[in-house]
Amino acid sequence: MTTMTCIRPESLDEAVDFLHDHGPDTHILAGGTDLMVDLRSGENHRPFLLDISRIETLKTVELSDDQARLYIGSGVTLTRINTLPLIKEHAPALHKCSFTFASRQIRNMATIGGNVAHASPCGDTIPPLVIHEAEAVVANRDGNRTIPLLEMTKGAYRSALHPEDLVVALKLKTRQPGFFDFQKIGRRKALATSRMSMAVMADKDDQGRISFIRFSLGACTPTPQRMHTVESLFAGKNPTVELMNQGAGLLAEKMVEITGRRPSISYKEPAVQGLFKRMIYPMITWCRQ
Amino acid sequence: MSNDRYHTVGKSIFRRGAKERLTGKPIFCADMELENVLYLKAVRSRHPHAGILGIDTTAALSIPDVVQVFTAKDIPGKNLMGIINKDQPLLAEDKVRSLADPVALVAARTPQAAELAVAAVSVDYDPLPAVFDPEEALAPGAPKIHAKGNVLVQKKVRRGDVAAAFEKAHTIVEKTYRTSAIEHTYLEPDAGVGFPDEDGTLVIYASTQNPHYDHKEVVSLLGVEDHAVRIIQAATGGGFGSKLDMNVQGFIGLALYHLKQPVRYVYTREEAYLATAKRHPFVIHMKTGADETGRITAMQMKAVCNTGAYGSYGIAVASRAAVHATGPYAIDNVDLECTAVYTNHPFCGAMRGFGTPQMALAHESQMDIHARALDMDPLEIRVLNGVKKGTVTATGQELVHSIGFQDCLAAVTPEYRKAGTDWLSEPTPPHIRRGVGIAGMWYGIGNTGVQNPSTARVAMDRNGQVTLFTGCADIGQGSTTILSQIAGEALGLDAMDIHVVVADTKYTTNAGATSASRQTYISGNAVKQAADKLADVLLTEAVNYLKVKKADLRLENGSVRDARHPEKQVGFVRLASRILDKGGELSWQGYFDPETVPLDPETGDGIPYTTYAFACHAACVEVDVLTGETSVRRVIAAHDVGKAIHPENVIGQICGGVAMGVGFALMEAFVPGETISMNDYHIPTAADMPCVIPIIVEAAEPSGPFGAKGVGEPALIPTAPAIVNAVSNALGKRIYALPASLERVLDASIASGHFNNCYQES
Repeated sequence: MTTMTCIRPESLDEAVDFLHDHGPDTHILAGGTDLMVDLRSGENHRPFLLDISRIETLKTVELSDDQARLYIGSGVTLTRINTLPLIKEHAPALHKCSFTFASRQIRNMATIGGNVAHASPCGDTIPPLVIHEAEAVVANRDGNRTIPLLEMTKGAYRSALHPEDLVVALKLKTRQPGFFDFQKIGRRKALATSRMSMAVMADKDDQGRISFIRFSLGACTPTPQRMHTVESLFAGKNPTVELMNQGAGLLAEKMVEITGRRPSISYKEPAVQGLFKRMIYPMITWCRQ
Repeated sequence: MSNDRYHTVGKSIFRRGAKERLTGKPIFCADMELENVLYLKAVRSRHPHAGILGIDTTAALSIPDVVQVFTAKDIPGKNLMGIINKDQPLLAEDKVRSLADPVALVAARTPQAAELAVAAVSVDYDPLPAVFDPEEALAPGAPKIHAKGNVLVQKKVRRGDVAAAFEKAHTIVEKTYRTSAIEHTYLEPDAGVGFPDEDGTLVIYASTQNPHYDHKEVVSLLGVEDHAVRIIQAATGGGFGSKLDMNVQGFIGLALYHLKQPVRYVYTREEAYLATAKRHPFVIHMKTGADETGRITAMQMKAVCNTGAYGSYGIAVASRAAVHATGPYAIDNVDLECTAVYTNHPFCGAMRGFGTPQMALAHESQMDIHARALDMDPLEIRVLNGVKKGTVTATGQELVHSIGFQDCLAAVTPEYRKAGTDWLSEPTPPHIRRGVGIAGMWYGIGNTGVQNPSTARVAMDRNGQVTLFTGCADIGQGSTTILSQIAGEALGLDAMDIHVVVADTKYTTNAGATSASRQTYISGNAVKQAADKLADVLLTEAVNYLKVKKADLRLENGSVRDARHPEKQVGFVRLASRILDKGGELSWQGYFDPETVPLDPETGDGIPYTTYAFACHAACVEVDVLTGETSVRRVIAAHDVGKAIHPENVIGQICGGVAMGVGFALMEAFVPGETISMNDYHIPTAADMPCVIPIIVEAAEPSGPFGAKGVGEPALIPTAPAIVNAVSNALGKRIYALPASLERVLDASIASGHFNNCYQES
């Protein structure tokens, strides 16, 4: 137990200025749902706590004029993601993940920016964001820049952000897909870190062939993954049980290739296939409708 | 039995203590207001097994606001604790036996200073080889944890001729079962405060299940007279067995003895996880034989349980496990043996059921396997073998009354049958398989084959006010309400009109531990006896006053009246004055000790308990064959409690027991050195809870207060085996080790073929 100085800026400029001066000595507090646990364990102590929860500009959600992009402020809570029609319409898998994210109390506090910046391999919002090819809009005193989500994470809990950086928004390519899903496995039905998660969205042509597909795997690998090989397997084809099984095998292969054979693989290898099938089977039916 | 016979027994009256809790009164040790309080914190071992060469406290003492650092040499009395066998020092002397072992105790003016001092105490360790597996600890040449060796105890129960019975058996089932260590995870981490009284008495408030034991132990640690220490049970936010041990009480006593100023010790969740008892993990080898009709004729059981570094309640766990191994079934030939073994695992002790939940996994799995082998219905094989009047148990005890097992089986039958037909035949997505399972249990009320009395006092003052004095710790299960109802019933008073003085060693006498599901039955009887004695004195005086014979008099609403002429009555106030004026006695002591006969060390022959509780649970589960996720949808739980004094409390116990059973069945496993806190130890959330249908069965116990037995532990016992049997029913593949985790269920699904055959091309 040690003392910290808490700073609570009202504006983004104030926050960015503070980070410019004290970045390496500062923990950024958004919803605190991960940070409080880390602080309690006593590791990685820093003298300053920058509470960004009062910065209103971080809480906006808006659609670009051409409706091609959706901006979600980093301070938007999971509860708002769950309730905003804009998100349900333009990023439905992200909306779905907000139903099972941790617990209601945590959803009320946790922010999407925090979920991304924490660089946890298990963040539930990551696979849904990856399938929308999301980018993080990052601010520091030198201005704004964007980082593709897949490049945000250098490894488990190692973010590509600099100490003076603040994530201000997530920028998603909008889509209203004909088929979408988010699925995960936890050790219990609420309040459990996901052992595995995945998101998909797809469209079909008039022959029932997959004309568009994005698929992402979460929690199984140290960094977020968009599984291009799985996507290309389905692209242009009429999905069948056989194709689904093939995709499941490919996915497991790819996962093992990334993680190597740790003890947990004896569960993850079949489970990743099982979860994939559970998610994709309804897509077969949908394509045949 | 109709509840109308009684005016308060059988009614779910407002719970004593509920108002204080709901309005946030500072009744818990962490909240009590004290001035100039010092904060205590223990320095714990860094090694699972090591000699202590020296302890240097100089650096710690130089930290500002650090008041004192105590080591074993500061303990004035006997540095040894344990309720059954004494093997656990308050502070380690020559060696540490687990990562939880305390080696020094810091007292400081701020929590921060206490924490810094803990880190600054330097201990010179000489690491020793450690052993964590009990079977390895039994091998020759294994590291010796205690001077007397690594076997804490071996308990045996033998009867009939097992070899001959197996010889004749039609089917034999032989399997090995494993259970994990479990952390109780009560809501309130262990806590206590202490301060010296005006007369110098060391007053200790503690979150505890057994204040009178705490008193004895603190007195012994400090080497002082009995009256020098007073223990008062503070509001206790759950215990489930773990608060039967001395968790903070000894530390508070030691600091108070030396510093004579207020002290407080509240465990963090991490410390509560590290330093308090766990449920014993078991390895159970069980072999049972059945004849062609499905009657179980023989059982051989060998179990090893890991008691960790210290005995705690290990002897009771081993003994109860051996006695309960048969489950609620009549088996004529048995050879049962349970060995509790020391290892360098953090110590294991009491947890809801004392080895019985572990045994139930084994005997209830065996029952299902036998049923399957004989193509019998799981319910039928239990009805066939279930104990009934006249059954002679493995310890040679003839069961004569209050045997509600068959009633419990009958009570779940309609729902169980309906689930087996209607629910199982509802369409589900291809990856979901449904299963229904059933499990029974029995549980002896009170301690096993030893005296375990309770006492109580019921007193009336000149104003007719009745006060109940009981040493029984209410840890959230509601005993204070129930004991008030029992006294109220005997005296014709509203339970809430009785004042209560509870669990304070200055004013109450020993009621024994709040454990073994014993307080309603044993303390209830002690209270009833005291209240009956007072009632009799009042009646006698009323005979004199009303000139009506005793048989016609009733105690009702604070007066004694003639049952035939209700207008003829006299109030308690008048009676109390008359009795006291004559020098009569209005304060009466009650005493009750269930009749037991100690068990023979070789055969286990004897009477372990006067009475048993029985139960049967049926569980409906859904298994995701692709991921191993298991959802418990519904649990039908029938419990024979003798008589439900407070039905809502009984239902609360049943639902809580089911919740704990779901955790034991599906997700809980404490791994020493890895499990730190609730972040990595999963107990069920509300979302994991099934719909629970509690059914109260009342097979009255003639020796119980108003027929009551107990329900606290029974509530948990059948849940896990019912779930495991349901999972096995869903997959056609059995799981032999708890928890039935994602990994184990998925393995079973793969082995059964369901994983691969889930989706077929249509």
